[in-house]
Amino acid sequence: MKPMLSIQGVGMTFATKRGPFVALRDIDLEVQRGEFVSLIGHSGCGKSTLLNLVAGLTTPTQGVLLLDDRELKGPGPDRGVVFQNHSLLPWLSCTDNVLLAVERVFGQKEGKAALHDRAKAALDLVGMNHAAAKRPHEISGGMKQRVGIARALAMEPKMLLMDEPFGALDALTRARLQDELMKIVATTGATVMMVTHDVDEAVLLSDRIVMMTNGPAATIGEVLRVDLPRPRNRVELVEDRGYVQCRKEVIDFLYMRHSHVERTA
Amino acid sequence: MSTTFIRVAEVWVPDAGRTLLEFGGGLYGRARRFGALSRSMCFGRGEGLPGEAWESGRPIVLQKFEGSNFRRTEAALAEGLTCGIALPIFAGDLLTAVLVLFCGDDAAHAGAIEVWHNDPAAGKDMTLADGYYGNTADAFEFISRRTSFRPGTGLPGLAWQSGLPVFMPDLGKGGRFLRADSAVKVGINRGFAIPCSTRGPDTYVMAFLSALATPIVRRFECWLPEPDGSTLRRREGFCEQAGALDVGGEPVARGIGALGRALASCVPVIAERAAAEPGAVGLAAAAHGLDSLVALPVLRDGRVVAVVGWYF
Repeated sequence: MKPMLSIQGVGMTFATKRGPFVALRDIDLEVQRGEFVSLIGHSGCGKSTLLNLVAGLTTPTQGVLLLDDRELKGPGPDRGVVFQNHSLLPWLSCTDNVLLAVERVFGQKEGKAALHDRAKAALDLVGMNHAAAKRPHEISGGMKQRVGIARALAMEPKMLLMDEPFGALDALTRARLQDELMKIVATTGATVMMVTHDVDEAVLLSDRIVMMTNGPAATIGEVLRVDLPRPRNRVELVEDRGYVQCRKEVIDFLYMRHSHVERTA
Repeated sequence: MSTTFIRVAEVWVPDAGRTLLEFGGGLYGRARRFGALSRSMCFGRGEGLPGEAWESGRPIVLQKFEGSNFRRTEAALAEGLTCGIALPIFAGDLLTAVLVLFCGDDAAHAGAIEVWHNDPAAGKDMTLADGYYGNTADAFEFISRRTSFRPGTGLPGLAWQSGLPVFMPDLGKGGRFLRADSAVKVGINRGFAIPCSTRGPDTYVMAFLSALATPIVRRFECWLPEPDGSTLRRREGFCEQAGALDVGGEPVARGIGALGRALASCVPVIAERAAAEPGAVGLAAAAHGLDSLVALPVLRDGRVVAVVGWYF
């Protein structure tokens, strides 16, 4: 099957005062249409750098990234990004925040009413229409993040890129949003790449978990296929043998990596 | 060999006309009848387990003899052997030998043998092609079948990257073995991986995972040839009796003893009496009560890059 996203031999070296800093090396990864892929690893392993490369916010110093066979050379509406910090404009209402993105993508070819319908539908999808007129400071952190997801989805991107989207939320809100995200992904068939530190989140949501080695010069160490049936129920999964084993595998990787400096064979 | 996870090892070598595989030595332990039968056999290309490995050009794990093209099913089952692993050794496109190993899955023998594979045309992942897990399957096989490694990561990935055998004396410690938790849970404590010399661009790595009660082998050594190829020097080793072995020590000359002959011939060599091996190899075998030795050459681009010694 032809992958939607193809990352080929990608490396990222930053120029610093102390000289070149190799953040990522030899990254090869393919993501299929409709797949949910999580990037997991310790701080500094370059997972956000990799996501930024896919988002087009940074240009790789080596290699190439292809989305549907077209080289990624910058940000574009074909990739919706959700950050940990919701990045909503504080002076705009929830609707207007979403509308801003919608207008950018569809403003040339659709009328105002249609654009509003799109914004409304996106807020509906994340269950936020009741707060459509509110401004970011009037809603909770979880709600802000929902609006951020709505904004990204409203652009009808080919890929949804999420950088620790629930990292700043309390555990209960996080769990609720994870469940909602699973439903949204099931409804829209979205292709998702998500950066996370949370092992349970990665196993619960992902089709594949890409585990990154420690930086500098981080790369992909191991990839775990999570073929648990969907829809997934977090309560039932706690006792599921497959879930437990996948979870252990990721913890094992992170724990070992965390406590051990890589040796050569 | 009854206390080791590998219970039978045999070598099959092409005849002069390169149309048949002939018996080239074997260690059968208590499986004497199976040994007697095997000594009189030969295999054509694609025939039986050795012939299939020759034909396919890659390692094969035969988890069940019944219903396969395995030709010694009755004799193997009578000896309690339930799984066969065939490792073809190629110098370029030329087959030099097929090493065949047999295991049994009774409760007393715990361990696992895995074949990992990377097809460079398909991607950068090394995934499990096949595996034999004996009675460790429940806890260990599940995760192995869902994991893929990149070069330099995990036991298969390390062997892939280095192109050399990799040995991990304690899988539960350190960070290189990435399925440590699952391994420790089922009693697997040691592992070694060997890159396979196969035809074509694909990479195969065989990983051997060993439990304390039934080690894969009783002693493992990895020898590297000196640059001029005249001698072997021990790079590492581990003995269930003596622990980690010193690096270096007395070199083994090319063509001398099982290890030296493996270096010279590119063919695995079986020494039924390890204590009779020349020099320090034989003395160490005698000192630690080791019965026999399999010297397995590891080839890359048609050259021997290492010789692995398995003692039983």
